[in-house]
Amino acid sequence: MSAQRLNQILLVLLVSLTAIWLIVPFSMAILWSLVDPAEPWTADKLVPPVMSFYRWQDMWENSSLQTALVNSYLLAPSAAIAALALAMPTAFALGRIRFPGREVCKILALLPLIVPPFVTSIFFTSMLYQLGLHTWRFGAILFAHAIVFMPYAIRIMTVSFEQVRSDHIDAARDLGASAWARWKVAYLPALKPGIFASLLIVFIQSIEEFALAFIVGSPDFTTIPTLLYGTLGQDFVRPNAAVLSLILVVPNVILMLILERLLKSANPALSSGKG
Amino acid sequence: MTLRKWLLVLSLLTPGIGLIVAFIGVAVYIAAAQSFGYYNLAGESSFSLEFWDRMLDRKVFSRAVMYSIYIGVISAFLSVAFAYPLAIWLRKPFPGSLAIGAMLKAPLLVHGLVVAFLFINVISYHGILNQLLQGIGLWDEPHRLQNDRNAIGVLILQTWKNMPFALLLLTGAVQSISDDVLNAARDLGAGSFDRFRKVIAPLTVSAMQAALIIIFIGALADFSFQVIAGPTNRQSLSQLMVFFKDGGRWNDAAVVGVSLMIIAIAGSALLAAVSRIVMRGRIA
Amino acid sequence: MDGITAGNLKMVFGDFVAVRDVSFEVAAGEFVTLLGPSGCGKTTLLKMISGFLTPTGGTIHLSGVDVTRTPPEKRDTALCFQSYALFPHLSVLENLEFGLRQKRVPPAERRQRLDAVIDNLDLALHLGKLPNQLSGGQQQRVALGRALVMRPNVILFDEPLSNLDAKLRDQVRIEIRRIQRDFGLTAIYVTHDQAEALAMSDRVFVMNGGKIEQADTPEELYSAPKTSFVADFIGSANVLEADVTSTNGNGDVELSTPLGPLKANSGAPPMGRKVKICWRPEHADLTATGENRLSARVTHRAFQGHFTDLHLDDGGNGYRIQTNQPSIREGDTVTFSLRSDQIVLLEALA
Repeated sequence: MSAQRLNQILLVLLVSLTAIWLIVPFSMAILWSLVDPAEPWTADKLVPPVMSFYRWQDMWENSSLQTALVNSYLLAPSAAIAALALAMPTAFALGRIRFPGREVCKILALLPLIVPPFVTSIFFTSMLYQLGLHTWRFGAILFAHAIVFMPYAIRIMTVSFEQVRSDHIDAARDLGASAWARWKVAYLPALKPGIFASLLIVFIQSIEEFALAFIVGSPDFTTIPTLLYGTLGQDFVRPNAAVLSLILVVPNVILMLILERLLKSANPALSSGKG
Repeated sequence: MTLRKWLLVLSLLTPGIGLIVAFIGVAVYIAAAQSFGYYNLAGESSFSLEFWDRMLDRKVFSRAVMYSIYIGVISAFLSVAFAYPLAIWLRKPFPGSLAIGAMLKAPLLVHGLVVAFLFINVISYHGILNQLLQGIGLWDEPHRLQNDRNAIGVLILQTWKNMPFALLLLTGAVQSISDDVLNAARDLGAGSFDRFRKVIAPLTVSAMQAALIIIFIGALADFSFQVIAGPTNRQSLSQLMVFFKDGGRWNDAAVVGVSLMIIAIAGSALLAAVSRIVMRGRIA
Repeated sequence: MDGITAGNLKMVFGDFVAVRDVSFEVAAGEFVTLLGPSGCGKTTLLKMISGFLTPTGGTIHLSGVDVTRTPPEKRDTALCFQSYALFPHLSVLENLEFGLRQKRVPPAERRQRLDAVIDNLDLALHLGKLPNQLSGGQQQRVALGRALVMRPNVILFDEPLSNLDAKLRDQVRIEIRRIQRDFGLTAIYVTHDQAEALAMSDRVFVMNGGKIEQADTPEELYSAPKTSFVADFIGSANVLEADVTSTNGNGDVELSTPLGPLKANSGAPPMGRKVKICWRPEHADLTATGENRLSARVTHRAFQGHFTDLHLDDGGNGYRIQTNQPSIREGDTVTFSLRSDQIVLLEALA
């Protein structure tokens, strides 16, 4: 009884705290993004005196927002596909072949997560300069993103490959399925959730990535995070930063909700079936 | 293992792990080599200790080292300290626990730069926090909270962003302890604190180490929070590295980068060891 | 007094009544088994005695002290879990002394109590090992030792043998009983295995639907079940419905059954005009020519070694008997007698 009561009190406390933690900052951002330049929002007013979508329109038309959006949303899916394609053979080897040193390889695959991103990006740039490849920035960032976020894809796909049941493969073989049919029947159903999850995670990571895009891409290649960084830095205009922040957050929330769904459906406890 | 099988495994690993090892390896190698005077983009390349020598003498460097370690360690500890009780609280589902879990994990979805913006928006000179504290009469005039000297703003941001991650790891670990084991401890006379100290903590120590280390490395190498919300008279190691690189001083940037990696590795090992000794507190 | 007293215990989860109005007494040093199918409330009852559940209603006294609302860490009970619940990060020795350190038992006494248990359970060779380095039987012994070393007034067992193989089960069963006697412990043992219950207990509480159907010695339960549920759950029994046609002062009861008229004299008067009755398959006597003669055709025969199981059919009524004559074949017709004192009268039919 008392535990239940305690839970209720804690619940109310936490919900209100989180509401303050999430709702206040975001409503502030929304209000700031609506401030009309005709009259500034001064400290003595509770809400902006004049509200309009001018800032949104202005940012859309007169900043590098459009280029940044194109860059980011071109880069992220490409990086996701590249990372997945590169990760697949390794994940197959780690998930389905027993060989000595497998555990070491699993740890090596996590290397990009351990080395600080600014170290990677600065010395990757240095390498590009040595090779004279620093001019094609999109390609350089794409390449770097694919490698730096590959650990996620390798991890997820290794687990997926481990979950492919040998008896399914054997059964398909026993029934005379060709290599392609075996892949479709035995592998694909088990791998599908993993493939979606990998693509989505790398996509989100790439959209958010700042260090590589900032160091390798500077000064003329902008993505949404580097644009936001610029807006928060030397030319800080609060309403503009608010607009950019909101643009950066919304797609992430939607994608993460999809991801949550996917991860639930990929729950090994539900799909294993081998008691 | 036959030779054929080895070749198969190697060829499968090449595009994935092979590329990772080559890429990270080359970046680390170039950093190390440049810090000793090789690959000098501006002058001639030869072995030299002078970059290390001069860097270690610089006050700005030693201050950046201390500052980054401070941010890394405190952020890691704060995140884990907040996440632990929450993870234990959410161990068993109860009405509303899913909603709480989702809300607590929400910061995972918000980009660090956005977090930083939202934060400075709230604490700015004419921001809502200043107005609130004046409104209830606690303060007579607005205070300048942004870029505070002790980097409390950076610590708040790091904790806000990293606590959900620690929570994710710890929830999994805490949930994997069986009810029977906790009930057995209870049956043998262990109250809630003893159950935490003698059963939960030792059984979740690996998850806690993982959380501590990953958050530590991330916060140690922080750049954007520092630039936006950090104290203006201090620099983090990443900031310093970018500063040297922007000035074309690649060798100096390399020295800072290599130091950053060494601190990351040494600090992680130290944190892991300390947490193991403290948490594994065998009976006695 | 020592022992356990439960008065009108009740436990309700939402709309599900797990335990309804259960009262009983267990004497000090007694070994009582709670027996029943899954969902009968036996584990819930055990959890209320150990303190992990607070009853919705009623009281529990241990050694005369009301502990109804005392948390498990403050109760003088020790529970052996079905999963053993050993602490995976602690060695065998550390597992054994966990409770003693928790209760701040002084080192000298701790040493002495540990030695007694280690010796008794033959654990000396394993003290430094971690639980996952032990076999199932060894883990079981550590779990038992961890509870015993507490010298509790009451020791509780939650299906402790269900994860062991058959041979080991017999061995540990004997061991548990020996230790319980040696230490003079009051024990409550939960199981769904009737053979285990009959073999180990001083008394068995047969539970069904959140109630105790019958609380008796194993012998009484077997020979004089009070309800058809108990008759059916303990061993095998042929249960049928019967009309009481006459009774007399000597306890003789004449019955009309689908198998024909039967005479019963089991000591108890019938509970109504229409009752359920039962008899054990092994009581069918193919050699005697006394009362209650029945004959039927053999539809199925299963040779079991020291006896043979026969499924009989008597004009659409099926039942089973056991015989030590292996020569009877399927299709044969057998004739046998039942002693009137072996026909047991059960509950009345509405």
